[in-house]
Amino acid sequence: MANASFYQSAGFDFSNDVRNQFLQDKGLPLPKATSTGTTIVGCLFKDGIVLGADTRATEGDIVADKNCEKIHYITDNIRCCGAGTAADTEFTTALISSNMELHALSTGRKPRVVTAMTMLKQMLFRYQGHIGAALVLGGVDSTGAHLFTIHPHGSTDKLPYVTMGSGSLAAMAVFESEWRPNMEKNDALRLVTAAISAGIFNDLGSGSNVDACVITATHTEMLRNFVKPNERAVKERNYKFRRGTTAWKMENIRSLVVDETVTLIAPPVGGDAMDTT
Amino acid sequence: MQQLKSGEVNLGTSIMAVQFNGGVVIGADSRTTTGSYIANRVTDKLTHIHDRIYCCRSGSAADTQAVADIVHYYCQMFSQQFGEPPSIKAAAELFQKLCYDNKDQLLAGIIVAGWDKDVGPSVYNIPVGGGLFRQPWAIGGSGSTYVYGYCDATYRENWGRDETVDFVKNTLSLAMSRDGSSGGVIRMCVITEGGVERMFIPGNELPKFWEGKEVLAGFDNLTKKAVVEPEPMAVE
Amino acid sequence: MTSIGTGYDLSASTYSPDGRIFQVEYANKAVENSGTAIGLRVKDGVVLAVEKLVHSKLLMPGSNRRIETIDKHIGMTTAGLLADGRHLADRARDEATGYRQTYRIPPPLKAVADRLGLYVQAYTLYSSVRPFGISTILAAVDKDGPELFVVEPSGVHYGYNGAAVGKGRQLAKTELEKLKFSELSTREAVFEAARIIYLVHDDAKDKEFELEISWIGAESSGLHEPVPADLFAEAERKAKEAIETFE
Repeated sequence: MANASFYQSAGFDFSNDVRNQFLQDKGLPLPKATSTGTTIVGCLFKDGIVLGADTRATEGDIVADKNCEKIHYITDNIRCCGAGTAADTEFTTALISSNMELHALSTGRKPRVVTAMTMLKQMLFRYQGHIGAALVLGGVDSTGAHLFTIHPHGSTDKLPYVTMGSGSLAAMAVFESEWRPNMEKNDALRLVTAAISAGIFNDLGSGSNVDACVITATHTEMLRNFVKPNERAVKERNYKFRRGTTAWKMENIRSLVVDETVTLIAPPVGGDAMDTT
Repeated sequence: MQQLKSGEVNLGTSIMAVQFNGGVVIGADSRTTTGSYIANRVTDKLTHIHDRIYCCRSGSAADTQAVADIVHYYCQMFSQQFGEPPSIKAAAELFQKLCYDNKDQLLAGIIVAGWDKDVGPSVYNIPVGGGLFRQPWAIGGSGSTYVYGYCDATYRENWGRDETVDFVKNTLSLAMSRDGSSGGVIRMCVITEGGVERMFIPGNELPKFWEGKEVLAGFDNLTKKAVVEPEPMAVE
Repeated sequence: MTSIGTGYDLSASTYSPDGRIFQVEYANKAVENSGTAIGLRVKDGVVLAVEKLVHSKLLMPGSNRRIETIDKHIGMTTAGLLADGRHLADRARDEATGYRQTYRIPPPLKAVADRLGLYVQAYTLYSSVRPFGISTILAAVDKDGPELFVVEPSGVHYGYNGAAVGKGRQLAKTELEKLKFSELSTREAVFEAARIIYLVHDDAKDKEFELEISWIGAESSGLHEPVPADLFAEAERKAKEAIETFE
């Protein structure tokens, strides 16, 4: 690898795909990537968009992170929820966020949601589904509020309310029965919370807390751990050793800060220093 | 040729385009599926390519969106460079080239239709594999197999606008009722020299055909009201 | 040209103080030394005709043709440095096939003329190249009907009903202006074209010349072709007769 790396171009490398396929056919399964077996949702309301996500990350049937963040920053006025392979959602949204900033700088305009949507779909389509990112993209720009879903193969849908991830069916059931056009902000936020909660409680892949994000034309409000329906109960007893249980013979506190004295060397007076005027 | 990749979003579809004297009528159902889940029940499969050129998409949603975006770009470049809109044929040829050259990697069945000043209304069919056929009417998607006979029996030349709209509406309704992968609402566009008119038929207002005596037997037990039995559609 | 010898004429990338590019003007001089070429755009077709000067009796008759085919339905002829004409025809063919490959429909002449103009103009920008010493007449019948364009050494192009470039262009233009292009048939235009070429030929300065005529119209099924031998012979005969009576 040491000598090959010099010639390697940027981007993903799929050269092991054939080998992996062969091993898989022989009965050796691929190691599982951390997946955000997830519930993510978004819905339109009177003044903008509300996005929502649960906070469970899983590795197979193990909960890898009980309070992860699935609502990713794209720009000030655009956010993106990610489901699927955690690493893929993390890095694709980071890349597009970076490119959106550069795009905004070069055009001198406020970035648009369709721009982010197009960048994401074109990237995911180029990778033919190998980047396992299923996204809910929402934001408000000069043309209004927009909400999209983007599937790993690069197809997109534009809808007033959307859900994705393993908990999408539970969440969609809530939206289909409760969503109305032109809802007030608090009603929309309540609905999103209900949809995510449906995922948290009814889908094994989803769990822990509700993150939400409200985007309007003037303001974006990130509501991290908006609801925490699964707080750990306070233990009835505490098993810590009492202070002073262990005896000690000596105490020594040392400062790790190294003192330095700096002596400034004066420039030569007169002399033949170079004339830099 | 390509099978749908696992987890890929599918437009298991009923789409259609029909030429008439002054323009074309295009139509589609609105169902998008991932496996057995309906990912979008109000999809717009009638995709804008240029002022008077639209396409109906069937197959993989990702593939057809990508191809339509590229042709949309080419058509914009065309009108900027040459100061006039591209012909329907030129747009259809662009689709055909992309679909044929990348046939190993695509699952896309596309119908291109529209109006241009040189030939008037035209409909081009580009089935999976990348052929190109000009037809007076074309149907596509998984639902189309159920209604070839109906179309063959019903279609007539020199129809006016309204008859053509009814033909598309009835055909799609029949296809959607037999094909599990099609359904939802009907979206239609009438493209003429004057412009593009969009039409929308909600799922509960689709044209009805004979659906069985037991279901529609004179009296509805739930509403306790007499049910007006729909007239079976006459097929000449 | 009073500014000759001031150094402003040495490079196409240098303007003269009064805003001219002498290298481009010299290129026009190269055009003026060439045998006349004309084009007629009439109601149902287009005709190209050339006075091909024969500088040696040893040359094979019919060789070194100056009318070239660019696409099935596009013809082109140049006046000026003949090798430049061959190069530009090659470029025009590339542009036409490029259009065909992208859009899979016959290229409209406007599209080809546009691109050719850009190409020629690029040769007026750099000190390392010389502008094309040719004026080009492009003719076609496309979806918009008969079309005729002239591309000049500066890169500009104009659409015409009748076009003339080369030595005898002044007299040819005077003759062309007398014609009613909207009433002429392509066949009639062939006779007019032959007559004008014979008329503008200067026997005193150039002894020998060969007439070349091509057309695009219904009679050639929309293809660019040399006119049929019998029509050519008749046109040449009538042209010679007309010259007798003209003088």
